[in-house]
Amino acid sequence: MDKYADSATDFSAPAMVEGIAQVVKIEGEAAWLIPEQGSSCGSCASATACGSKGGGTAASRLEGRRFRIDNHTNLSVGDRIVFGVRENVLLKASFTAYAIPLAVMLLSGALAQWQYGSDLATMAATVAGLAIGLGVARAVAGRLQSRGDLAPLFLRRARPGETCNS
Amino acid sequence: MKEYVLLVFTSALVNNVILGRFLGLCPAMGVTTRLDAAVGMGMATTFVMTVAALAGWMVNTLLLEPFGLGYLRTITFILIIASTVQFTEMVVRKVSPSLFQLLGIYLPLITTNCAVLGVALLLVADKMSFISSVLFALGSAMGFSLVLVMFAGLRERLALMDVPRLFAGPPIGFIVVSLLALAFMGFSGMGAS
Repeated sequence: MDKYADSATDFSAPAMVEGIAQVVKIEGEAAWLIPEQGSSCGSCASATACGSKGGGTAASRLEGRRFRIDNHTNLSVGDRIVFGVRENVLLKASFTAYAIPLAVMLLSGALAQWQYGSDLATMAATVAGLAIGLGVARAVAGRLQSRGDLAPLFLRRARPGETCNS
Repeated sequence: MKEYVLLVFTSALVNNVILGRFLGLCPAMGVTTRLDAAVGMGMATTFVMTVAALAGWMVNTLLLEPFGLGYLRTITFILIIASTVQFTEMVVRKVSPSLFQLLGIYLPLITTNCAVLGVALLLVADKMSFISSVLFALGSAMGFSLVLVMFAGLRERLALMDVPRLFAGPPIGFIVVSLLALAFMGFSGMGAS
């Protein structure tokens, strides 16, 4: 009975999504980091031969995801740290990047279909709606970023040998 | 209006891409170990699937059919999906580098998601209108995301359970997803009336 009670108590989604990153550059008070690949795909035994990685090498893709944090803990190049992103931030980011453009696109397409009833007009309105939606998403993302809502947080230094999946 | 609502409902629940058509099983098993990954993947797939369906319908109607190039459909759609993923990646990176850090990891996985190609081919085979195609793709993607999130929630619970060693990991995952498929069969026939 206790075992089940413990399971129920332990069951809670982590409030923070954690990842491991390596410091690649120090610039004044800021540290630039590259995240280590920790998705199920990256940890797969076939990762080196898998086509799911898309264009470019895994290293070049990770280089593209370089980010910065404030260096209050005397980090130096080569240090591995655990960083965190709040779960609601991930939801907010998904909503901003994908849901806003989709909603504007569908709304403009539906309006054109209702108004003109032709495929060509609907098509043009949908594409225009997508472009407008991406503009709106950019504005919202800029606002979130200026408030610091999307910034990853330094949690602690990674233990030797620690990976995202350990 | 009613037919559009029914179209979204049936494509999301009755003919769910994962549990009804058995497409996209790789991401369903691969990214559902954590709920946050499932949400990220679901949202990204929803966007890509809808935009790829839109682009696929346009290319098929304006280019492939008028010039009798229907035999190039599959390869063209693969190209469209790959381009859509690259486009989305570029846009997200341009819109916000921070968003790209958070969400960029899920995008390349969509290129090889057969559900995206399957939906694009299905809407052409059914000769849908433009708005129906977009809504069908949106409904299918919403159904896909729904199953990812449900399955991720179940797997997070399963990780804490005392599963016999023989069934631990993917085997119990497959059993759970098959039970989910049985549950979704309960929706069968709801869109017909």
